[in-house]
Amino acid sequence: MIILQKKYEYKNHYKQIKEQDFLKQNIRNGSILSISQWRKTKHIIQDQKIDVAVEFSSNDCSLSDHDEISKAAMIQINFETFKDGRPFTFAKMLRRKHNFKGELRAAGHILPDQFVFLIRCGFDSVEIKEEDKDIWLELLEIDEGLYYQP
Amino acid sequence: MYKYSDTDKKIITSRVKQFENQVKRRLEGKLTEEEFKPLRLMNGLYLQLHAYMLRVAIPYGELSSKQLRKIAFIADKYDRGYGHFTTRQNIQFNWPKLLDVPEILRELSSVEMHAIQTSGNCIRNISSDHLAGLTLNEIEDPRPWCEIIRKWSTFHPEFSFLPRKFKIAVIGCTEDRAAMLVHDIGLRIVERKNQVGFEVFVGGGQGRTPIIAKRIRAFLPKKDILNYLEAILTTYNQEGRRDNIYKARIKILVKELGIEKFKSLVEENFSKLSNKELEIDDKNIEEIFGFFRLPPLKSNTNQIPFKKNQEYQNWIKQNVIPHKIQGYSIVQISLKAPKKPPGDATSNQMIALAEISEKFSFSEIRVTHEQNLVLPHVSNKELFNLWNRLKIENLATSNLGLITDTICCPGMDYCALATARSIPISQKISKHFDNYLQQKEIGDLKIKISGCINACGHHHVGNIGILGLDRKGQEFYQITLGGSAKEDATIGEIVGPSFSENNLIEAIEKILNTYKKHKRNKSEDFLTVFRRIGIKEFKKDLYDNFTKKV
Repeated sequence: MIILQKKYEYKNHYKQIKEQDFLKQNIRNGSILSISQWRKTKHIIQDQKIDVAVEFSSNDCSLSDHDEISKAAMIQINFETFKDGRPFTFAKMLRRKHNFKGELRAAGHILPDQFVFLIRCGFDSVEIKEEDKDIWLELLEIDEGLYYQP
Repeated sequence: MYKYSDTDKKIITSRVKQFENQVKRRLEGKLTEEEFKPLRLMNGLYLQLHAYMLRVAIPYGELSSKQLRKIAFIADKYDRGYGHFTTRQNIQFNWPKLLDVPEILRELSSVEMHAIQTSGNCIRNISSDHLAGLTLNEIEDPRPWCEIIRKWSTFHPEFSFLPRKFKIAVIGCTEDRAAMLVHDIGLRIVERKNQVGFEVFVGGGQGRTPIIAKRIRAFLPKKDILNYLEAILTTYNQEGRRDNIYKARIKILVKELGIEKFKSLVEENFSKLSNKELEIDDKNIEEIFGFFRLPPLKSNTNQIPFKKNQEYQNWIKQNVIPHKIQGYSIVQISLKAPKKPPGDATSNQMIALAEISEKFSFSEIRVTHEQNLVLPHVSNKELFNLWNRLKIENLATSNLGLITDTICCPGMDYCALATARSIPISQKISKHFDNYLQQKEIGDLKIKISGCINACGHHHVGNIGILGLDRKGQEFYQITLGGSAKEDATIGEIVGPSFSENNLIEAIEKILNTYKKHKRNKSEDFLTVFRRIGIKEFKKDLYDNFTKKV
């Protein structure tokens, strides 16, 4: 898998922590946590200034103000299916309501045809198969800049 | 009429390229059918019973003669020489080949047309009153607002993968000729304290759970319209059900939450997420309204020509209504000629109509949600000439608003979802009631026919609604009574056990007899009588005397 940030490919440095390995001391820069793991450890993470990501599933994009999600370095949303459009609204909420300024990444079942939509809703990057890179870039070029909404 | 800007042109052209790419990937196996389906649907391409079907958008039902000619050309070159006008003012081609579709889209783009978002779980074509801009009691022309909403909703990055399809209608006066109250969002332009704005309705719809929309805002200032629509769509995209396709429309969400709770979520999104850049300023409004000015019509005292020809007189009485500019008329063209599938027009008829509209109506044609066409600005003195011309093309059927002016879905003759045929039912009705005077005596009556529970033929809101069902491989038809799609929108009530195709006309006759029996005077129409006496009387007359063959 590769990460595309618009036209640029870069190496992923985030990694999930397996549930059985989830110990506070195992959290380090680049860990991906679930929202419940984040809730349990966010104070330590913030105190120790650890750069972690929080992941959500398109099935469960719920969040409250108490989660202080703006303090996470990266948020990854895993699409169960590309047909589930909730993450597009969730991305808007993260940016506009929860004031999240970090990297927002789309992963899971997403289509290159959705690239511009993702970017325009506030996503920065996508996790895709390396062999699909060309088609993602091709569709980005066809669609970029052509839209009506502000 | 609206004219494309450079941005519009670029967007449409790039969309054709994108679709071409999608078809290529599908054929190469890089897209699965499951992945391709929502993408093709967003370009109006369905897989039907026998072939693909392409639904082309006619934004708010407005067409130029040039566009109609192009549609005729496409019907001839890529289809079987006809098209079907739909209840959302679009047109469908029933036989295109997948590989031809990108080329068809390219042809359409050359006349500023497309098939974008005519299907799929996104915001569909914005529909409107076919008499928009033509009547005196209108507060404001709804078409510029439809255009503003069309742009905003096209390729909306956030709302292209909604739980289910989403339909919006806009009207500009009290009379509702767009079935606004059975839309996901209905907007009515209203005036309050010298300020013009919108009355907003939400959660209407037909299908297997018919619901009349609820009012969510009595008054919304114009400038806020897009932010308010965003607030509703945000709420729906987040909260709408995705676990069951039959419960995924916004009407179910509004019903389950209750309108008050739903409203509070919307208002919160509206106050917290509104975007200054989405506000519409006066300059923007003025610019868009500029596209929708009337052609240069000069008020005059020309009268409608009198001819001693009964057929012509019937047509004037039934199909022609006054224009707001004196001396002109609005001509409604029925696409419900006897023996013809309702809403269909042949390519020859379309070519003729394009020419006729150039000669008689400033090159403008409108499509109505009742699957008819309109020539909006015809000089009174030309009406007899026009009638003669229309008659040659079999486009002068005098039945607007009468029993044979049915709304009818394609049914099992085309549709993969249908459980029964609907076109033959409509044809039986038009054959049985083909006499104008007989129809006139029955008066205003809307029969709406759907070939399945999805209700594309609007049966729930027909004064008489007919729903085709499958019972152990045999077609049966359930009748509902008392529905209305107008400003007094009502869902019809099921009258009782369904009828076989052979008994259906007899059943309709009995229903009409009950109506005639209770009619107080000549002008009391079917719906008024139904509302006065209730379904019981109809039920009694219909089933008590019915031979047990039902």
